[in-house]
Amino acid sequence: MSKGNNKSVMKIENLQAKIGDKQILKGLNLELEAGKVHAIMGPNGAGKSTLSKAIVGHYDIEILGGDITYKDKSILEMEAEERALEGIFLSFQHPVEIPGVNNAYFLRTALNAKLKHQGKDELNAAEFLRLMKGHLEMLGMKSDMISRSLNEGFSGGEKKRNEILQMLTLEPEVIILDEIDSGLDIDALRAVSEGINKMKDGKRTFLVITHYSRILDYIEPDYIHVLKDGKVIKTAGPELVPYLEEHGYDGIEED
Amino acid sequence: MNLITLKNKSREEIATLLDVKERDSLVEKFATLGLPNKKTEEYHYFDVEKLLDVDYKTLNYIPKAIEEGDKIEIIDGVVTKAPKGMRVYSEPCESIDMDHFDSLYYLGHLLSPRIIRIEVDGDCHVEILHKYTQSDALINYRIVISNQANRHTTMYENFEAEDIHNTLVLYGYDMHVAQDSTLRMVKLQVMHDNKYSMVASHKVNVAKNANVLLKNFDFGGDQSLQVLKVELGEHASIEAGHLLYLNENSKRGTASQIIHRGEHSTSKQEAKNILDGQARGIFDALIRVEHSARFTKAEQSAKSILLHEKAYMASKPQLEIYIDELEASHGATTGQLDEKQLFYLQSRGISYIEARKILVIAFANTLIEQVKDTRHQDRIKSAFEAVFYASNKG
Repeated sequence: MSKGNNKSVMKIENLQAKIGDKQILKGLNLELEAGKVHAIMGPNGAGKSTLSKAIVGHYDIEILGGDITYKDKSILEMEAEERALEGIFLSFQHPVEIPGVNNAYFLRTALNAKLKHQGKDELNAAEFLRLMKGHLEMLGMKSDMISRSLNEGFSGGEKKRNEILQMLTLEPEVIILDEIDSGLDIDALRAVSEGINKMKDGKRTFLVITHYSRILDYIEPDYIHVLKDGKVIKTAGPELVPYLEEHGYDGIEED
Repeated sequence: MNLITLKNKSREEIATLLDVKERDSLVEKFATLGLPNKKTEEYHYFDVEKLLDVDYKTLNYIPKAIEEGDKIEIIDGVVTKAPKGMRVYSEPCESIDMDHFDSLYYLGHLLSPRIIRIEVDGDCHVEILHKYTQSDALINYRIVISNQANRHTTMYENFEAEDIHNTLVLYGYDMHVAQDSTLRMVKLQVMHDNKYSMVASHKVNVAKNANVLLKNFDFGGDQSLQVLKVELGEHASIEAGHLLYLNENSKRGTASQIIHRGEHSTSKQEAKNILDGQARGIFDALIRVEHSARFTKAEQSAKSILLHEKAYMASKPQLEIYIDELEASHGATTGQLDEKQLFYLQSRGISYIEARKILVIAFANTLIEQVKDTRHQDRIKSAFEAVFYASNKG
């Protein structure tokens, strides 16, 4: 439920979803305006991560009702890889480690899958490495990071930088950042934010899921959505952030 | 010939049935162990009786003039090519100086009055190509391999079969690894379409300060069992890796015994098993540390991934230890592909099939990447991918 009359890129209507036996999303409505930064804030257990998982088609989630449309098409029947190829990207809160899978090989496979989907020529190894060089420098990542196994033995900060590296490489259109600031020191937070801000071109849409307002000092939001008990209870501009800092979520009145 | 006729027979009857003379000790050992069946430990998970109870045609193993080639080529048990200067010859073999727990080891020798002897000179790389061209046949041959002290040899074994069916291959090598030497043996065997079944019964003696590396890459379908016995002398070592990637209804694997006889000997045995379809994998492996083998190190691990609910892995790593002064460990795990890892790859636009392939190869890679020669490593990876795509069409 964004403000203004600009075109929405994603619309979530009356979404109900459960994980296991527990219903988490209870009729959630949200509209993402193209090219804007939407922040989702809310207390623990409100359903923030469940929402991100529902958007990308995570196997944990069972949809009970409602719909998610992306570019005016329902995506609920689409596999996770189809959603990704169409331009939806989730930066995971806890990226998994995959020993034995080379980071560069993984990323090139993903990029070439996307290029193929778009009917473009795939990148050879040399072209890919040239592309990586610039991204790695910008994120302050050592060049050996892409020759290591995917996320294996990476620190918390390195994992988050690696998520942003994937985002820069795959150039998605809707970017969901799930607790991107958790576990980051100030330098890592700056580097990660710089990577995200580089992608802010007025066309890409961001959904920033966070507990704390710290990340919003670096990535300026256009809209704040407060999520509580499986529903968006309030949508406002960035001026809501200091109010939440001061009063918490309990004092928020439903729109 | 139907080998099941040898079941429960006396020494005299076996000698008569096989028409062997002056090989009493071999006949006696075979008669004592008896033809294997389901109750024989090393064949417990392998339907050996079904393979033995078939009327096979027998072949002649008349030595041929060996042509010069870039590898040793053995067609239906007869050497046809060898690299220039390599000492490869066929010779009568009345007795053997090794012993084994496998009765088919002795039967293989009894059925093969001549052996193929390969004497490796100096430091070298040798390729051995086994080719099978006969259907409904019993192909049996034994190879004796020896190297020289202080030398380092790498051997690559590959297998090809023409458009044949229902053949049984009984083969194996007796390997003498000389003092202070290193011998690496890398085997790649892709089987499919029930062209042939195999029991490979090997014996490896590793002399003082010698090192052996055995790497087996067994992919595809059908039935084959490697029955391996290794004896380690003082300060000798073995590093054995077994990668199984099976599909369809195959039953394949390894039954092995590694015996530490000498002090300060070392063994490391690692099995990785990936099973799809209704495949059954076998890793029945014993490491025995004898009283004489103080200060040894023995390490054994088996990890398996089941890609299908009907796949089955018989994993039995075992340590048998008679002393206190040693370091030893063993373990086995069986599981499935990690859902979280699969989803992570898919969430980046990688298809379900490609994501499975990436994870399966990642699991196998620790063994494949131990093959240092990139040409052979690529050959193994290509064979692996071919089996993967055959199992994951569409």
